[in-house]
Amino acid sequence: MNAVRVEADTDDADVRFSLAGEIDLENAAVVEDQLLAAITNHTERVSLDLSGVEYLDSAGLRVLFHLADRLSTLQIEALLVAPADSPARRVIELSGLAQLVPLDPPDRSGGPAQPGVR
Amino acid sequence: MSTSSRTSDKPPADRLRGIEAVTDSGLAHLDVEHLLVELLDRVREVLGAETAAVLLLDEPNGQLVATAARGIEAEVYQGVRVPLGQGFAGRVAASRRPVTIENIDDADVVNPLLRERGIRSLLGVPLLAGGQLLGVLHVGTIELRHFDASDVELLQMVADRVALATQTRLSEAERTASVVLQRSLLPQRLPQVPGLEAAFRYSAGAGGTVGGDWYDMFVLPGGWVCVTVGDVVGRGLHAATVMGRLRSSLRSHGMAARDPGTVLDLVDRQLRHFEPGEMATAVVAFVEPSFECLHLSVAGHPAPVVAAAGGGGRYLDVPVDTPLGVASPSRRQVTTVDLPPGSVACFYTDGLVERRAEPLARRLNLLEEVVVAAPPEKVCTTVMNRLIGRERPSDDVALLVVRRQDGHLAPLDVSRPAVASSLGEIRAAVRRWLAQVDASPADVTDLLLAVGEATSNVVEHAYGPQGGTVTVRIELQPPEVVVTVQDNGRWRSPRGTNRGRGSHIMAAVGEVSVTRRSGGTEVVIRRRVGAPEGQP
Repeated sequence: MNAVRVEADTDDADVRFSLAGEIDLENAAVVEDQLLAAITNHTERVSLDLSGVEYLDSAGLRVLFHLADRLSTLQIEALLVAPADSPARRVIELSGLAQLVPLDPPDRSGGPAQPGVR
Repeated sequence: MSTSSRTSDKPPADRLRGIEAVTDSGLAHLDVEHLLVELLDRVREVLGAETAAVLLLDEPNGQLVATAARGIEAEVYQGVRVPLGQGFAGRVAASRRPVTIENIDDADVVNPLLRERGIRSLLGVPLLAGGQLLGVLHVGTIELRHFDASDVELLQMVADRVALATQTRLSEAERTASVVLQRSLLPQRLPQVPGLEAAFRYSAGAGGTVGGDWYDMFVLPGGWVCVTVGDVVGRGLHAATVMGRLRSSLRSHGMAARDPGTVLDLVDRQLRHFEPGEMATAVVAFVEPSFECLHLSVAGHPAPVVAAAGGGGRYLDVPVDTPLGVASPSRRQVTTVDLPPGSVACFYTDGLVERRAEPLARRLNLLEEVVVAAPPEKVCTTVMNRLIGRERPSDDVALLVVRRQDGHLAPLDVSRPAVASSLGEIRAAVRRWLAQVDASPADVTDLLLAVGEATSNVVEHAYGPQGGTVTVRIELQPPEVVVTVQDNGRWRSPRGTNRGRGSHIMAAVGEVSVTRRSGGTEVVIRRRVGAPEGQP
């Protein structure tokens, strides 16, 4: 199994995830399970920091799209953190995920406005 | 003033028995100094002397140096030196005969320590081994003493044995020291220069004695690479030390000089000035930063052999200037030789080609035959195998082979089971391969994505439950990197939601073509790497 680390920091209604390593077809389902397990019905805000992700492909994107869809349905605020020039950023920009979830730093192509960032 | 005589009743041979153990196997482990100290105690006892000392010859300085002493240890502590021919020990050494002094007051004695110690009578004999003078052994008494013929004979017999044992130990010590020194003076590994592979071999000559052979390769400022081999005439510790100095000079002059002829000229002058009498042969080659060609200068050394890709070996036709250290030469000549991609240059010392029982011409032809444009390690192995074989060379041998790599990087081929757990391994191999290409971090990210998406597709869609194989080939076709991912399954259309992004990603990172055949699918992704044309 590729090395991937999912850390969840829960503070009241906020869940801050920090992901590191490589996410691909092999471990995407595991990552998804870990993410969903940390989010409760009382969660109001979720952020995913992808700064430490060295590889992310469409299998990982599938998880992120699915998560974004669920959070939107549950009216939970979401934020993706992916530094410019990071491998995750590249894939997110290519995929159009930023159309659904605010991105930090903001998408150059102009996604939705970001509530409460900075 | 009375002179006592303590001559023993026993004949010298019997008295000798008491100290015979000096040279026996029980003392074989002792080094020279401990051996001498042990001996001197026994000599003092048998001869009834208060002091005993050994001075060894320091030939270059024409002096005797106190090396071991009992009863008069200060001689050693003070590093007493006695010129040959002068004083008591000096006379023993110069005449190579026993000398007795009955009363020191009447004699010419250089070393003040003898008088200070209260020595009155002295007997000294030369240490001779194979007719060669190694030093002097002497004993002294505080009482006035007449050393008789039997004393002289006894001490001389001891001295002869000691000389032999000393000589053996000294040459062993020298041999050990020169092997250690040689090891420290020669590079244990060569620098890793991308695009210029290198390998070396070094073999000490018969008996394990080292010589003055060297090999070296170093990168110079600006990306030039210097390759040199050479041979200091002579053997043993001395040749090895001179070699060490030459090698460091070659490096420092290599830094400053513009061409190999100037390097050799500077080293030559240095040798003649600081080490007159020494001689060495050498070849120095500068490889251009582009590796397109090498410039070389030869000082009395056999010509290197080169082999172009697909061709056989041939000796370089280079002018050979005078060896180093012999005469002031006219300007040293520099020859420029092309080094096409894949070609090999083989540098060596004469120990490789000289063998007593065989004509030199045949050995030289053999070397030309065995050098081919192959990886350097392989060339070294073949050369040593064919030219040295099972017979230890009488002289030491240094061999250094360099090869300019082919213009293009070898493609990467990976074939793995089409399962998710193969994906990480494939990516790791691709990362390693990409590290050798002049690709930017963005290129690397995108190419990894391209490979990742294409291989994930195979894992997910190509095969049924029985599974199959995914094959990845990645190659450089400047200015593009071309990724080919193949399977031999029959694709089905994607199932589930949020699918189909893989193709989108692939199309974004490169130019994609998909070929589906009955026997499988081939996906080719081409991506330009490095700075776009027209940009710095």
